[in-house]
Amino acid sequence: MKRHLRLAALVAGAAILLAACNTGTATTAPESTAPESMAPESMAPESQAPAALSGQLTLWHSYSSGAGTELDALNEVLEAVRAENPDLTVDVLEVPFNDLFNKYNTDAATGAGPDLFIAPNDSLGFQAREGLILDLDAMLADKLGDITETAVNGSKVDGKLYMVPESLKAVGMFYNADTVTTPPATTDELLAAVEAGDIKAGFFGGNNGLYHNFGWWAAFGGSLMDDTGTCVADQGGVPDAYAYLAELQEAGAQFFPNYDDMANGFKDGSLDLIVDGPWATGGYKETVANLGVAPIPAGPSGPAQPLSGVDGWYINPSTADPQLAVDFALRMTNQEAQQVFVDKAGHIPANANITISDPITQGFADAVATGFPRPQVAELDNFWGNFGNAQQQVLETGADATEAIATACSEMNTANGK
Amino acid sequence: MTAVSAPIPARKRRWLPGRDARTAYVYLLPAFLVMGLITFYPLIYQVYMSFTDFQLRNLRIGSEAPPFVGFDNYIRILGNNLSIPNFHFVRMLFFNIWWAFSNVVIHVVLGVLIAVMLNTPGLKFKRIYRAVYILPVVIPPIIVATVWRNMFDADNGAINNLLQIVGGLFAIPAEVFRINWLREVQDPIPFVPLPLAYFALLTANTWLGWPLNSVVATGALQSIPGELYEAAEMDGASAWQRFRNVTIPFLRPAMLPYAIYGFVITFNLFHLSYFMTAGQPFGRTELLVTQAFRLVNEQRQYGVAAAFAVFMFFILLGITIVTNKLARATARYDA
Repeated sequence: MKRHLRLAALVAGAAILLAACNTGTATTAPESTAPESMAPESMAPESQAPAALSGQLTLWHSYSSGAGTELDALNEVLEAVRAENPDLTVDVLEVPFNDLFNKYNTDAATGAGPDLFIAPNDSLGFQAREGLILDLDAMLADKLGDITETAVNGSKVDGKLYMVPESLKAVGMFYNADTVTTPPATTDELLAAVEAGDIKAGFFGGNNGLYHNFGWWAAFGGSLMDDTGTCVADQGGVPDAYAYLAELQEAGAQFFPNYDDMANGFKDGSLDLIVDGPWATGGYKETVANLGVAPIPAGPSGPAQPLSGVDGWYINPSTADPQLAVDFALRMTNQEAQQVFVDKAGHIPANANITISDPITQGFADAVATGFPRPQVAELDNFWGNFGNAQQQVLETGADATEAIATACSEMNTANGK
Repeated sequence: MTAVSAPIPARKRRWLPGRDARTAYVYLLPAFLVMGLITFYPLIYQVYMSFTDFQLRNLRIGSEAPPFVGFDNYIRILGNNLSIPNFHFVRMLFFNIWWAFSNVVIHVVLGVLIAVMLNTPGLKFKRIYRAVYILPVVIPPIIVATVWRNMFDADNGAINNLLQIVGGLFAIPAEVFRINWLREVQDPIPFVPLPLAYFALLTANTWLGWPLNSVVATGALQSIPGELYEAAEMDGASAWQRFRNVTIPFLRPAMLPYAIYGFVITFNLFHLSYFMTAGQPFGRTELLVTQAFRLVNEQRQYGVAAAFAVFMFFILLGITIVTNKLARATARYDA
């Protein structure tokens, strides 16, 4: 009797194992996995009713790293997609944003990792050059008609699409409208208000807050690289921007080495004004009753130009079913889905047909429109470390801005072989 | 018959396994195979990697071999030519050695002193003290690092808060005690090139490190025969003389190997430097092991990281040889 039971258990176990191994491929219709289905002509135009998705996908995201509202939006859209596609199984894994690219890059390089993940285009160029993400040029042909040019361009490396664009982002100036009735429009106005004690301003400094402070560069006439990828930040403007930030600090503004300290300071009311991105809107809305957003103040050389980026879905070249992954990404970024992210999480939509009703989101949409698109050239890889260090030297040791920027620029050029 | 069974010289016979030895080798074989696969192969492969420009694209099985670059990775490390801000190999090495040395000295001295105090005859609640002071050891390292980092926070940390309360009693303004423990650039002691963050790390690691030293010292103290103290007392030895001539010689065989072990562990202590100070200010509290991690995880310079690890291996080998010699030279207490 015991032996029979063991045998039955063994057979049942083997059956379960076989069924589990089989799930990923059998439920996917052969038509959708066949290579020929990747050809643009076999794809249904966007206007036609999309075919039901079937198969298994694993996706990664970092939406809890922000205010948490992005996670709510993701869950809402996922729920709708699952309801529409009962034969689709989506496994969701959250990865902390700080680990996301390193974890994905290492996994993808060894042929592992998720089928797709959503992230900003922070290292799109590097990942494309290293073959860590799928070239989507053919698969997305005629699929992005409703997407803004900025979003499409931000999803490209060397003219090829490597990402399904979802939203846009750039930092802007959050302020508490209860204490800041008129947000400063110029750098002089901001400095005067901080000096007078009218505004308690806080910024993300240290060596990690470089992205948040990039917008000040253009306000003082600075730029990072020329057309050849050579750093030109030492040729005027950028040192002036950092000298200004040091002056702002001297006047009483705080520069926090830790992002959370700045965000918490704004939430608890000890700061009236900060520079941050749309991903944090939900958290600030919860605690700051009268929240406002304005562009980073213009400087003597014109408007500030924050680094603008694009969030989108990246597809792993090792995915078993690239077409399914792309179709899923397109569903997750269609007009209906983007509307949920706009309304719930304050995303700036990549889809041109979506109207923004929230003034905060509109404020960031304006910031994106005047932003400086993040370059995807290889030279940028040697920017962050060197200039983050220069920023920290200026803000934390009182180093001469001209000297610090010249050193950073020279080291960046040396590393890039320029 | 006799001609073919000529006796094998004793020297040669040692290399021919007997039946018992053969059985032993058979039993050892699985362990050798596992060790070879999970320990020796990665070590040898790492040395190979250190002579190549190994990149992310070379991780995949079956990918093309990385280009051979000879000693280039080693030269770049020694020449601080890695395009990493604040990277200075020799400075980091000296800091790392000093970090390990200073910690071990404090841990051992404190551990022994507390063990001697707890060994006082007639002291009540000894078991409770011993249970309490071992608590830091059982807390996960990342939690220790996070708690200490928060305690040393310049704005809301418990250390500054406490100083502000105490300072308030003497009418010292609270602003004086907004000390930036983990990022202050100015060295607190003139002519001592160590940042304030080093002392913050030292404090945290002292809290973490002395208890086990005390446990080892307690065990050794309890093995000292009481007659020796009585004899010394009868000879008119003072308390210091008894400590110096009885206690220390008996403690040495137990404490010295533990101190060497502590040195190696502290030399490679990852979590405090990485999670408390993140190498700040300006890489001055970076250790070799945290830098190696950054080379892989942040810089993706696998070839350079492999060369870095080879350097670390030889540095630790040298330290181990020196400390082992010291241990042998001082291990005898009956001389």
